[in-house]
Parts: sequence; C-alpha cells; structure tokens
Amino acid sequence: MIKPKSIYIVAKKEFLDNIRNKWVILLTILFVLLIVVFSYVAGGQTGEDTFGNMQNTVFGLIGISSLLIPLIAIILGFSTISGEAESGALYVVLSYPIKRMEVLLGKLLGLGLVITVSIFLGFGLGGIVIALTVGTQSFWGYIAFILLSIFLGFIYLSLAICISSYCKRRITSIGGGILVFFWGMIYGTVLMGIYFGAGYSMNDLMSGNYPDWFFNSVVFSPTDLSQTAVQRAFGVTTISAAGFEMSIPEFLSMPVLLLSQIIWFVIPLVLAYYFFKKRDI
Amino acid sequence: MTSKTVMCPKCKQQFTIVGNPGAKVALTCPKCNLIGSFAFPCVKADDGYFCIEIKNLTKRYKDVKAVDNLSFNVRKGEIFGFLGPNGAGKTTTIKALLGLIHINNGSIKINNMDIYKDGIKIKKEIGFLPERISFYDNLTPVQTLNFFCELKGVDKSIVPSLVKDVGLEDAMNRKVGTFSKGMVQLLGVAQALIGNPSIYILDEPTAGLDARWVKIVRDKIKMLKERGATVIFSSHILSEVEALCDRVAIINKGKLIAEDTVTNLSRYLHMKPRLEITIKGLNGKVPGVISNLQGIDTAEAKGDTLFITCEPQIRAKVISSLEAAGFIIDNIKTIEPSLEDTFIKLIEGDN
Repeated sequence: MIKPKSIYIVAKKEFLDNIRNKWVILLTILFVLLIVVFSYVAGGQTGEDTFGNMQNTVFGLIGISSLLIPLIAIILGFSTISGEAESGALYVVLSYPIKRMEVLLGKLLGLGLVITVSIFLGFGLGGIVIALTVGTQSFWGYIAFILLSIFLGFIYLSLAICISSYCKRRITSIGGGILVFFWGMIYGTVLMGIYFGAGYSMNDLMSGNYPDWFFNSVVFSPTDLSQTAVQRAFGVTTISAAGFEMSIPEFLSMPVLLLSQIIWFVIPLVLAYYFFKKRDI
Repeated sequence: MTSKTVMCPKCKQQFTIVGNPGAKVALTCPKCNLIGSFAFPCVKADDGYFCIEIKNLTKRYKDVKAVDNLSFNVRKGEIFGFLGPNGAGKTTTIKALLGLIHINNGSIKINNMDIYKDGIKIKKEIGFLPERISFYDNLTPVQTLNFFCELKGVDKSIVPSLVKDVGLEDAMNRKVGTFSKGMVQLLGVAQALIGNPSIYILDEPTAGLDARWVKIVRDKIKMLKERGATVIFSSHILSEVEALCDRVAIINKGKLIAEDTVTNLSRYLHMKPRLEITIKGLNGKVPGVISNLQGIDTAEAKGDTLFITCEPQIRAKVISSLEAAGFIIDNIKTIEPSLEDTFIKLIEGDN
C-alpha cells in the first residue's frame, strides 16, 4: 500500500531543499526578467498586438519558457537519485520505513512544486504586465499557457528522474540530462534535415509544401508538442513567419496533443520506478 | 555451551571444541597448528532468542562475490562487532540487513521477520548509521531531523534535545551544506537515535570523529546496551570492538572466519602473552638456558631485548633461569594478546 503521507513528507523535504538551490534561483530570476521584459516590449510597446490576437507575445513567451522550463526541470531532477545514492543520503532515507515508490513520487511532486513556483512567478508578473498594457481578453488562453508550461516542467522532470534512476553515478546522469535538453532544442533542425533528405527543396519550404508527417512528427519532441498545444489554446491555427504561412494540421487536435504529452510524462516515470526498484543502493 | 569432536582437515588429528549452538569458532589444531574455523551443529534457536539471523547470504556484483554464503546470528540485547579488512563485505552485509540490495541467495530475518517481505515494519525498530553519511545541503539540522522524525512517525518535539545531545546546538540554524565531516557524522548519530529503536546498525560509527566525540559515541553505545537495545556495529578499530563488544564476527573475502566472544577467540587461537625482557649486553643472542627450557613457544632476541612467548605458568621459571645464568634483567614487560593479533592470525590463516 502506497501511503500519501509518506509521499507528502518526501515532497516537503525536496521542496524545502531545492527551492534554495542556487542554480534554480538564478534561472528563475532570469525567467521572470525575460518574461516581464518581453511582455512589456512585445505586448505593449509595439502596438501591433492585442490580447485578443497576441501572436507575437505568445511566440516570444513560448521561446523563453520552452528553453528555461526544461532546463530548470533537468537541473532539479538529473541527480535526485544518482547523486543522492552516491553521496549516501538516499542510503539513510531508505533505511527508514518508506517504499521506493513513495520516495519517487515524493521527489516528483516536491521538485514539480519548485518548478510551479518559478512558473507562477514568471508568468504571474508577466501576466500583470500584459493585462496592464494590453488588456485581459485572452485571459483563459493565458491560464492554459501557464498550465501547459507546468505540465512541460513535469514532463522534463519525469525524464530527468528516469535518467537519474538509471545512471549509477551523478556524472553520467549529467550527460543524460544534457542529451535530453538538446533533443528538445535540436529537434527542429533534425526534422529539417529529414525534410530535405526526403527530396523537398527550399522552395517547397517557402511555399508551404509539407507532407503530413512533417507536422505530425512533433509527437517525438515534448517541447514542440507543448508549443503546438499552447498555440491551439490561444486559437492560433496558422503560423506566419518570415513571409510564409503554415497551418497546424487537423490531426494535431488538443486531445491528441495532450495525450501525447501524457505519454511523454508517464513512460519515463514508469521506467524510473523500474530502474529505481532494481537498483542496489 | 556444547562440545563437539572435530577432525583437523590437514593432519586428521581429532580434538574437542567448546562453543555456543549455531556458532562458528576459530581455533588452531593442537598438533599441526593449522588455523581453521569449525561450525557447531546448528541447534534450532528458541523463538526470540536471536534478534538478527543471517543465513547463507550471497551477493554477487557481476563476477565478484562480495558476500559468500555468510551465516551468523546476533542475540537480543548484545553488542555485536562485525570485523574485517577493507573490502571484506561488511558494508554489503549491512546493506542487505536493511534490504537495500538485491541478494542472490540466502535469507535475513530481524525479529523473526523477513527484511525483504516486512521491511517497513522492521525498519521502524532500526536505528542506522552508515559509514559514509550525507544529508541535504540546503536544510538546517532541525529541518533534517524533522524530516526523519516524520518518516518514522515520531513526534518532532524531540528534535531540539536530539540536536543538543550530539552537541550541534550552536549550528542549529546553519545549513548542513556548511558542516564539517565530523558535524555531519554527529547529525547522523542524532538521526539514528530517533524514536529509541530496539536495534542499532552502525557502520564504522566513530570514523572521522575527533577523540572527544569518539568517547561520547562509545559511551552512547554502552548506554544503548544498558537500555536493552541490540547493537551491531562494524569497525576496523580493533581496540574499539574489543572494549565494547560481547561477541564478534570476523569476515574476510565475504566469508565468515569466526563468530565468538572476544576472550574465546584469543583463547582458541592459543594466543599467549608475550614477555619482553631487557638485558644489558644481550647483543641479539638468545641465551642457551632459554633455548633448553621446556614450554617455550618462541624466543627471539633483538639488540638488548628478548621476546618470549610461553605458557603463563613458566614465566617465573624463565626469569629465575636467566638470573641463575648471570644475566642482569633491567626491565620486564608482559604484553597480553589483543584482538588485533587474533584478527591478523585469522586473516593470515585464511589467506
């Protein structure tokens, strides 16, 4: 039997310890600054945007959050098991009457709460700036954006914890964390490579000639999935940039996007438990 | 205590040994001096007689057998020493005791419950101090101990007195990340005491502490015994084990070499006190009167000092023969055999 109280005890400890992690504090400050400044500049000052059609603002905020949220999540999670196993802290905890499942879920919740605090700080202050400069027409879209960002944080946390419970040592889990982080970053480039490799040309790209798989393949990247979901939440169906337009295909409806993200969250977590359970501490 | 007739595997000499049921005793063959360990026929223990029962424990890491078919028992209320050179498998055994590793074979019972089945129940009764301890850098000692109290379901109001008990009251509001190694170890001691467990498992409890705190920790271990707790601790400091333990298990290369009381171990190994006699003008030669004397095991001369091991009852004869032969004795010292000597002899015999 899994005891919620044990999960809560671990979550509380993880939160108290990691909310004071200097890297997390630093990244949160950077996150808050970027969001607030961007909301002000893109939202209010250019005069192009309104909250009803805040494409520029949304794209800017997506860019910031899909870089920093995975980074914060990976920093929080990559050594939570491998590092503690190496230092000996986990050794003490597991000598207490607690199950490994409870430790794992407690870590996920406690660290997830740290990310949630960072996100609320950034988006909360950013939201106030947007509301003051442009208005509150897209309020619910913005709330969905915040929730999707928290979810993105949890997905990366789940991936980071999975790496951490697989790797024997802290140093190897750093490598795994970097790999996961860059996958989100370079996915677009990889996709472009495949696109051109499949015989499409620059002209095809500019004139909006895409095969279905081009867009549908976002299911392979949690960051891109989250970005597409945010666009859907704001009612954005066509993306216009650099003089060409592309529309988000029907297939990528909100339920499909959410379901794919849930899979990205659940599978690493199940694997994390499997590795953790098998592990000799 | 029961007795048993055994046969030396080398010279086939038969002799009788005395020991406790289920124990493994170490001894030397009286004829050929082979050092070996002989198990008593396993007598079924009364329920509740043993607090910790390890049976045929084997743990392999890839090709290496860290623990190899290890069996021993710890009785309720005793201080049990767990001794062995580095890499002997002590920490692996302790990890298995807590159910933290997946063992290849064997069973571990604590208070008659299987650690791999009833771990949660058993761990409520255990206080554990690992050899290499670490906590959470950004928490204060109070927050750290609060966390462990909650995990054990113990009232947090004991935390301030626990912190004071181990002398960390001045560092109460500092982050553990700023602590020295010794301070972290003391916090570890405090953590192990939470909830007054009835069983303590301590892995090198005094490693890294300065002399003052070593004494405090040792006194604490004695105090735990007085309260009726069972303590099993590993150590490489033999004098510590000798001073504190009721019984010891000695392991080497993952195998049990001996399990017995400290006094029995020395006795079975025929460890005799050694005489150190200083004689002016000895010049590194063993006097003829000594070589001719009956009952002398070894006699060795280095400079002006003569080292003799012999039966205690002929010590007086040694002195009088030397004096009769005209030697002028400056000084006599008797060195009792220590567990260290026993230990070295056992390990050497095993290798």
